Amino acid sequence: MRLPAWIALLVGAFPTLGLAQTVQQPLVTGESLPRLPQRLVEMGLQAVKAPDWLVALGSFVTAAAVVVAVFLTAFALLSLIERKTLARVQNRLGPNRAGYFGILQPVADGIKMLTKEDIVPTKAEWFLHLLAPILIVIPSILALGVIPYGREWVPVPLELGIVFFFAVGTMTELAVFIAGWASGSKFPMLGAMRAISQMISYELPLMISALSVVMLSGTLTLTGIVNAQAGFHLGFLPAWNILTPWGLVAGIVFFIAAIAESNRCPFDLPEGESEIVAGHMTEYSGFKYALFFMGEYLGLFAISGLGITLFLGGWQAPLPGLDWVPSWIWFFGKLAVVIFVFLWIRATFPRVRIDQLMRFAWLCLIPVSLLTLPVAAIWHYAGQGALGWLLCAVPLLIPCILITVFFNRRLAPATRRYHFAE
Amino acid sequence: MISLLLISPLILLAALGAVWKARPVHAALLLALALALVAVLYLSVGADFIGLVQFMVYVGGVAILIVFALLITRPGDEAEEVARRPRSLALGFACVAPVLGMLLYAFSQGLPLSTADEANPALPVQALGMELFENSVPAVLAVGVLLTAVLIGAALFARDPGTKPEPPASR
Repeated sequence: MRLPAWIALLVGAFPTLGLAQTVQQPLVTGESLPRLPQRLVEMGLQAVKAPDWLVALGSFVTAAAVVVAVFLTAFALLSLIERKTLARVQNRLGPNRAGYFGILQPVADGIKMLTKEDIVPTKAEWFLHLLAPILIVIPSILALGVIPYGREWVPVPLELGIVFFFAVGTMTELAVFIAGWASGSKFPMLGAMRAISQMISYELPLMISALSVVMLSGTLTLTGIVNAQAGFHLGFLPAWNILTPWGLVAGIVFFIAAIAESNRCPFDLPEGESEIVAGHMTEYSGFKYALFFMGEYLGLFAISGLGITLFLGGWQAPLPGLDWVPSWIWFFGKLAVVIFVFLWIRATFPRVRIDQLMRFAWLCLIPVSLLTLPVAAIWHYAGQGALGWLLCAVPLLIPCILITVFFNRRLAPATRRYHFAE
Repeated sequence: MISLLLISPLILLAALGAVWKARPVHAALLLALALALVAVLYLSVGADFIGLVQFMVYVGGVAILIVFALLITRPGDEAEEVARRPRSLALGFACVAPVLGMLLYAFSQGLPLSTADEANPALPVQALGMELFENSVPAVLAVGVLLTAVLIGAALFARDPGTKPEPPASR
């Protein structure tokens, strides 16, 4: 009963959006719909003869406001969808009290977080304790600002987009340290140590696998990287980086490292609830705690968005002939798929141990990601066809198999002997 | 120019604080702040690439390294630290003074300020990369070899000679 209604709605919605684009009204098309507030502000300011810098400022602030509004809504929705999905996987119901299908649960959570008492422990340094959650949220929002969401929707078109993304991302580590240290207690400190070592280790494969894309695209601009993935092979296969031999390996490494970088299951050791309470967030309550969660989810959106831009073709349509759908719809569709895969992984895999985590990064992910650099060069010079596939598959497969065998034989999760239990 | 006048006093204050604070963590955080402000200074004059790299390397790398070293070492006695301050300040100044003298001499000769291209101060990244990896390849390679040697040497120093490395756990 419900499903046909949804299908009818979708079938009806797509031509409507396409129609809006074909009419080519100057103010709003399907493509430029997200930029409508920005344009309205620009036009309004120009109409009252505001100076140029004020127009530019208003335009930028509105663009930022749109990004923040979109992703905070997505954050609220994701917090519900995540709980519902996990519940579905674990064969329970999940939140279903607040509103139909639990749809008002994020609102209830928000009210709960805002009205909780804000506790600052006596041993904590109040200023740094206050600073840490703010410093966690800022880099995530900054990183969201440079991602190209659509053909016409790039909030801040930076020339050095990818460098900017990683540069602001490094701020998170310092913020986590401040949170752990300023709390003045044991578990936050342990959690911060775990978090920093994990983030440093997984930043390397993340950046190296992104490097191969930069190498072949020949640009540091995220829009340029998306444009380099335009077109189709054989008439139907999109020319995305994930569909090349080096891109497949680099993409998988990137997404694994992205899960670890955003501290999610199965790499959520920094806040492993059953081990160290909540890691660096232990001594936080109320809105500051909510800010940590906001930072984590916004960081997840940002890093998934970067992965989509680098490997999954950004806002490019997956099949030819679908260009009439506004490109930002494709971007958010891909984002939904990637986030769902992350949720699926979270529901499926158990948490790894800290030594397994470190070994996995240094002995598996970093060598494999380093391998993608020469293979990307081979792909570039071997002409990107069947010969390229052949020449790339051999140097990729052999080391990957070797690492897997080595990993399984020597370093895989061995049965741990607890000598107290013997 | 305005940004220089606005930001450089902040950098100086943060750096002085980094020297003066008795708690090592505060000093490290203030040092990170000073380095981040230097990155802001670069960004404000249009040198985007060097600014972002400064931020990535110093705030994301060096500051984290210092902080991590603080985490895994035993904190010293703060009172003792304060009592030792005159001596360490004198020692530090003795180390820094020659560099400062050289810098001041260079500034007085007008070297670094006059070579800047006023019309187009920021170099495009591509030109920077070409210069680094086509014309200066030997220098880059030499630095790479040197850093690798330093890394191996540091690992050798850090290893405790008394204990054998633990074999990986068997199944």
